[in-house]
Amino acid sequence: MTDRTRISRVVLALLGVAIVVAVWQGMISYYGLQRIVLPTPVEVASTLGGLFVSQSFWHDVLVSLREFVLGYVIGGVLGIVVGTIIGERPAIRMVIGPVIEALRFIVPFAWIPLTVLWFGTSLTGKVVLVAYAVFFVMVVTTARSIATVDPTLSRVGTMLGMRPLAIAFKVHLRAAAPGIASGAKAAAALGWIAVVAAEYIGASAGLGVMITNASMSLATATVIGGMVVIGVIGAVVSWLVGYAARVWLNY
Amino acid sequence: MPELTTVPKPRTNPSSAPSEGNPEQGLSFERISHAYVAANGRTPVLDNVTFSVMPGQVACVVGPSGCGKSTLLGLAAGFIRPTAGVTRWKGNPVESGANPDLGMAFQQPGLFPWMTVRQNVAVGLTTRGAARGDARRRADEMLATVGLAGFGDAYPNQLSGGMAQRVGIARALALRPKLLLMDEPFASVDAFTRLKLQAEFKALLKLDRPTVLFVTHDVSEAILLGDIIIVMSARPASVEKIIPITREDRDRAGPGYARKMTETLKALGVETDLSHD
Repeated sequence: MTDRTRISRVVLALLGVAIVVAVWQGMISYYGLQRIVLPTPVEVASTLGGLFVSQSFWHDVLVSLREFVLGYVIGGVLGIVVGTIIGERPAIRMVIGPVIEALRFIVPFAWIPLTVLWFGTSLTGKVVLVAYAVFFVMVVTTARSIATVDPTLSRVGTMLGMRPLAIAFKVHLRAAAPGIASGAKAAAALGWIAVVAAEYIGASAGLGVMITNASMSLATATVIGGMVVIGVIGAVVSWLVGYAARVWLNY
Repeated sequence: MPELTTVPKPRTNPSSAPSEGNPEQGLSFERISHAYVAANGRTPVLDNVTFSVMPGQVACVVGPSGCGKSTLLGLAAGFIRPTAGVTRWKGNPVESGANPDLGMAFQQPGLFPWMTVRQNVAVGLTTRGAARGDARRRADEMLATVGLAGFGDAYPNQLSGGMAQRVGIARALALRPKLLLMDEPFASVDAFTRLKLQAEFKALLKLDRPTVLFVTHDVSEAILLGDIIIVMSARPASVEKIIPITREDRDRAGPGYARKMTETLKALGVETDLSHD
């Protein structure tokens, strides 16, 4: 990318943000909205500034991130393992496939009341929920990526003297890596959403709790500031996963 | 170094099999019939195919498109189980799974996209127990042979179709296989490079004298490389004719070449006499 296109991309992105902020400010002025309904962009910005220097805010961020990372890793690893087995063994796909298809459409959020019952407001409940959300994305993308690996590659593996297990891991799983990586990126976004949603409903700390507490005390600027933070963290996490995949799958 | 002739001469390698010339020790197809079964029905591709390739012999298979030439290779490699009949290598029925004698160049080269070109050529050698350094040296040697010296660090997606196919050939030859299967390996290589590769390939065959089953749709290539040409009929294919090729026949300017060309094309059912135009 040349410097010129890089600069124009930044300018265009800033323009988009500027339009949103202008519409936001315009609505407040035009309809004469109360601060409690919609605070001004400047107010939200200064609230965010206040959050950044508060210790409890960073504590909430860390709680949410920890829930996310644990759930993401557990659900991701399990999803790739089960997806690989399903992709490799059609007989097992016949058994597990329908169960997974059925559970897949019970969205993670539908499980929140149950996880609250089972795990209360503890860390475990959120980790389970994130793992659940991530697991299904990874199972489906892994199984599909493995099933669609070029069959010539399996034959090449056999020709080169590889045993079936080596072909499964060193050829199929490796060849499926780009598909699995795109699943991992989608799963990161979904997992992060699951964390926040779970915290809205039952948690003792985390960004979701911070926002619901602010909402109950009518601190609208904090609510909006928290939402902005969630968006930024989600975008960064998704970008990081995509970046790691690009570096690793650089061929 | 013995010249390649119709009757295979003993290998120069002292450890060569004692039973040279014995079809029991080569590759044989015995009354093979095969059909592909799909949701929309059965497609018979091979119908009672019987022929043998002697140890150290090069058999070129020609035939109409879709007549099951690649299926023959799949059977010899153990990728496909025949519906009926037996494929034998060295007298034993071919099993599925790895065969340490086997080297194969595929029509779609099937390179591992995550490996460099050098790693692609070397990986079979290390899988079969070669030391890393040896495998690497051998890979570079073979890459030079197919005209790809200096491309060792490239990734497959940086190569043209013809170059990728040459890597596939280098990968198969690097294994020094006793049974070499080639599925139209020069198909996507440009005409000049193909002539060079054919000559290199012939020279390499003289070194190790593998038993070769070579599928092609280029009759001149079959005459140039083959000791015998197996002409297949249209699907479901059987062996239409087996044409022996002598050294003299390979002289493109000689009468033998034209005769074998005409004979092969006739067996393929191709009308070639346009002299009455």
